[in-house]
Order: sequence, then C-alpha cells, then structure tokens
Amino acid sequence: MTWIDFPLYSSIIVAFWVIGLVFLVVSYKKQSAFKFATSAFLIGWAVMILFVVKLWLELDRPPMRTLGETRLWYATFLPLIGFVTYIRWKYKWFLAYSFVMASMFLVINYLNPETYSKTLMPALQSPWFIPHVLVYLFSYAVLAASSIVAIKGWYDNYKGNFNIETLKLADNLVYIGFAFLTLGLLFGALWAKEAWGHYWTWDPKEVWAFLTWMGYLIYIHYRHFHVNNSKQALTILALAFVVLLVCWFGVNYLPVAKTSVHTYTQY
Amino acid sequence: MNKNQPQIQRNLWENPWGYVESFFIGIGLIVTGLFLEVFSTSNNAFTLSYPYNVVFLIGYVLLLFVAYKWFTNSQIVRWLTKVPASISSITLITFLVMIMGIIPQIPSENNIINNLGLNRITSNWAFLLILFQFLTCLGLISIKRILQFKWANFGFILNHTGLFLALTAGMLGTGDLQRLSINVYENKPSFIATDGNRNEIELPFAFYLKDFIIDEYNPKLALVDNKTGNIAHNDGKNLYLVEKGETYYFHNFEVKIDEFLPNAIRFGMRYEAVNEIGSPPAAKITVKNIENDSIQNAWISSGSFRYPYESLKISEDYSVVMTIPEVKKFSSDIDILTQEGERISTVLEVNKPFKYKGWKIYQLSYDDKMGKWSNLSVLELVKDPWLPLIYIGIFMMIAGAIYMFWMGNKITKNKE
Repeated sequence: MTWIDFPLYSSIIVAFWVIGLVFLVVSYKKQSAFKFATSAFLIGWAVMILFVVKLWLELDRPPMRTLGETRLWYATFLPLIGFVTYIRWKYKWFLAYSFVMASMFLVINYLNPETYSKTLMPALQSPWFIPHVLVYLFSYAVLAASSIVAIKGWYDNYKGNFNIETLKLADNLVYIGFAFLTLGLLFGALWAKEAWGHYWTWDPKEVWAFLTWMGYLIYIHYRHFHVNNSKQALTILALAFVVLLVCWFGVNYLPVAKTSVHTYTQY
Repeated sequence: MNKNQPQIQRNLWENPWGYVESFFIGIGLIVTGLFLEVFSTSNNAFTLSYPYNVVFLIGYVLLLFVAYKWFTNSQIVRWLTKVPASISSITLITFLVMIMGIIPQIPSENNIINNLGLNRITSNWAFLLILFQFLTCLGLISIKRILQFKWANFGFILNHTGLFLALTAGMLGTGDLQRLSINVYENKPSFIATDGNRNEIELPFAFYLKDFIIDEYNPKLALVDNKTGNIAHNDGKNLYLVEKGETYYFHNFEVKIDEFLPNAIRFGMRYEAVNEIGSPPAAKITVKNIENDSIQNAWISSGSFRYPYESLKISEDYSVVMTIPEVKKFSSDIDILTQEGERISTVLEVNKPFKYKGWKIYQLSYDDKMGKWSNLSVLELVKDPWLPLIYIGIFMMIAGAIYMFWMGNKITKNKE
C-alpha cells in the first residue's frame, strides 16, 4: 500500500462520490434518494480513510511532508466538514461542494503522482508535527468552505436574492476555522521553541501564516461591529482566502522562498 | 452599533473619530516611521534590555490603566478603545507584514529598499510605531473588559489579554534574549561559546562530548538524465530506498537490488563491507531491459568525502545512481562539567533540548562534509528570561481559541 496503489483507490473513491452527487441532485426532486447519496458518500469516505491509514503505516512516518500529502488530508477533511455542516444547518449545496472539492483534490493528486519517499528530516520528528499540521489543514479546509459561502453570497447579491443566513453560515465556519488557525499557529510556535530555540523567527511561511490570521481577524472584527454591511464583509472574506492560498502554496513561488524552512519537498 | 451612522453627515475630526481619521493617524505613524528610517543614521535595531524593558512594561501598563480609569472621556482614549482604531491598525500592520512577506529580509542592493528599511521590517520604526498603536488599543480594551468583568467576556479577555501579553513580552524580551553557539569536539571539554556578533563568551560550565551519533536512512536509487545531470521524472516514481531484494521499475528497465552494504569500499571487481572512516554505501544491482531482455550487472555507490561515486549507464539517455543517504537522527552524548566538579550526563537530539541553569541547550548541527564520521557537534544555548510571560500569553490564547471554537456560534446567535 503506497502511492503506487493511489490510482486504484482514488478511482474507487471518486466513483462512489460521483454516484453520491448524482443521487444528491435527484434528492432535490425526490427526498428518498438522499439516503442513497449519503451511503455512497460514506462508503467512498471509508475507502479514503482506509487508504490514508494504510499509507501512514506503510511509510512509517506521518504522511504530511509533501504538498501532495497535504492535498490528501484536505480530501479527507472536506467530507467531514460537509457532513457536520449538513447535520447542523441542512445545506445540501454545501454537502455537494465539499465532495466536489474533495474529489478535485484527489484528481489533482492523480495527475501529479507522488514520489515514494519514506524519509523524514530530524527537525520534523517531533510530537508536535502531527497536531500542528492536522490542525492547520483542518482549518484551511473549513476556511476554504467559508470562502465558497462568500462566493455564493456574492452571486446571490448579484441576483438580488441575498439572504443574511448565508453570511451567518460563513461566520460560523470562520469562527471554527479561525480557532483552529490560532491553535495551529501557537502549536507551531511551541514546537519551534523546542526544535530551533525560538518560538517566532519571521520565516516567510510564518509571515504568511500571520497574515492569514490577521486577514480573518479583520473579518471577525468587521462582522462583529458592522452587522449589516454584508458586501464589504464578503469582500474581506474573499481577500483573506487569497492570502491563505499564498500561505499554503504560493510562498514557494515568492522571492522570499529560499530563506524558508517550510517549503514542501519536491522529492 | 453603527447602524445609523452612515446617514449622519459628519466633518473630518468631528466626534467620534471614525475610519477616515483612524487610517489618517495610522498612515501618519507609518510615514513618520519611514522618515525616521531615512534620516536616522544609526543602523542598530532599537531594543531595550534589563532593567529598562521591565521599567517600560510596568510604566506602559500603569499608563494604560491611568488612561482608562481617569481619561476615558478624552478624545484619544475614546478613539483607541473603539473598533475603527483596531481595524485600521490591524490592516496597516497586515500591510507592512505583507511587505516583509514579499521582499526578502536580507541585505539589499536596492537603494529604496535600504533607505526605507523595507528589508528589516521588524525593527523598522514604521512597524514599531503602528504596532505600538495596536498594542495600546489591545491593552486598553483588555483593561476595560477585565475591570468590567462578566463571564460572557471570558473568551474575549483570554484572546485579547493573551495576545497583548505574548506580543509585548516578545517585543520587550528581545533585548534580554541570549543565543550562543558552541563547537564541541569528541573527547575534549569546551566552554568558549560565540554569540550572534561572533564575540567569544566564556561559559560558567563546560561540555564534554563523549560520542556524536548519526543514524541514516538507506540511500535512494534514482534515474538521472545523462545530458542534464538532473533526476529524471519517472512519472513521479523516481526515488526508491535501496533495500536488498527489492525490485523497482524505471521506464522499461527492471532494477533488482542483489546486495546492499551500508559501509563498503571497492576491491577490484566488487565492493566489500569495511568499517573505515569515509566508506560509502554500495549496492550490487541487476538491470534488465524489458524491451530486448539484455541484462547488466554492476556495483554502484553514492560516494563520500573520501571515495568517488559510481553510477551505471543503462542507456544513451539514462543512468542509475545512488543518492547520498539522508540523515534520520543525530545526537550528542555529552557531560556538562560544572565548576563545583559535578558531572551531568545527557543526550541532546534535535527536538529534544536540555534545560540547565536557565539555559536551554539544543543540538544544532555538525560537520556535514564528514557526515556520520563527524566528531564535531554544534550546540546552541538559548536564555530567554521573558519566556514564562510569553507562554502565559500563548496558553491564554490557546484556551481562548478552544473557547471560541466551542462558544463561537452561540454568541453570534444571541446577538441577532
């Protein structure tokens, strides 16, 4: 069980998810189709988790080192967020989105095959590694979801049927995502103290992580005090996500990248 | 809160100050800071060290307290405790940090970058001034919420006060932070460390390195393009750990590893295991061309600082090479010798520092040219007396984040 088996597993997963999506669309007309959609999603997700677990065991290290491995986690978390959000707020379109996005990440991974590498440099061998990365990826996935809500808000606004409930959903997602973003940032600081002797060194990745944090901080403060200026709030949310994207993989392409300890390895 | 505000026509600088005035002040601070950068001749970063930073902190907090308690009706204090001042300072800090995220923070040949200090943002006056305004807002509202304590504000206080503590202590603490590195050689006591400016500092204790140990992963097998010398992309599956008995596929070649020796040197036609300084790993491989069934047999080696590498050319275009093994773990088995004649034994490893007399001692590096035969270990000593205060701030924020995750949407719900 390695990345070599990935094409097989990802096809099975995506097949189940596509079937689920079809049933989900049908369920708008016929509610009874919804349980078939859920079962297909869940079976696909179970296969996904099976793959992640077996990959972890086979690699003898947490599969969190390369960009492709982070995409794998993204594809694992998005369905979870979709389901929790559905159970809490009953948005079918959001459930569909989370599975479409998760499938997209699997397809990207399929098109950019991973190298089969078991090595992990000493600095990453720390009990902080797993919580730091998992908390971050979970947060990114939730915040990505919030930005989709923002896009939907923009679209509704354009159509003239904007509903403030949409923005409330975005708020809830941002609160959850921001809490995890803060945890990821602080876990990173505590880990850095153990590994490099200082909790904050303004490494380029840290700079952009800080910027992402500030972006959502602006959104939260703005929303809290200007409850009715929905359009500005949506704009801030969209911009914050752009910063998040720069932080996640854009940093690798900036002139500052060569001074970073955080760039994902290519091999 | 500002529901009716947009309808009211106000003049600039009329009560209460809003976003326009806030950004005006904030940008004013930045421009002032940049002027200071251009015209100040000193190149040293502005830092406070003990006892001035302690005095500053106490004075600052007292001043914030006095300002909130007795001057709460003054225009400036009212402005600082309101949202426009916070949002404008957060936005402007974000802007300056973004510059830091784009322009490398290293000496530059560009005059504009140099004169404005854009390659040293963290010590730039523009940054310090706007950060000062931000901290003042944060400090004032922390004091406000603490003095009007309500359980509903618990998360708010944790987040805001925690950030205030962590940031203020972090900034003021840089003056007292000591970072030294020391070269320690096997079987020799060492007590002369060097600081960031290459000054030698005598430690009140000595390190005695008993053994420096490196664990390595097995080397990897890779396919190299003969023309460019780069690692070829074999559909992404191009690097495999060398293990005896494994078979790997590169394009239309089947590569079988018949034998693997972690330390070996060449004797005539083959490699033999030895226990000698600088002996590289070597492997015997059989390469079968699937298209025409031709078979090649050879020994390859990654080489080391003492011995050359050996690769195998499998076609006009490609060669099979062995990469230099990656380090899995490195550690120093040391004794700390005190002036009182005590001997404290410990093993230092990356991510596992050791605490001794207010110092944290880290495994930093080694002689990477010698690799696993290095008898030099570089240690780092860090003393940060402000750390407890910073950690209190960080843990308050962690608690605040958990609180936010738990309560976040309930609060929004009640508000509407």
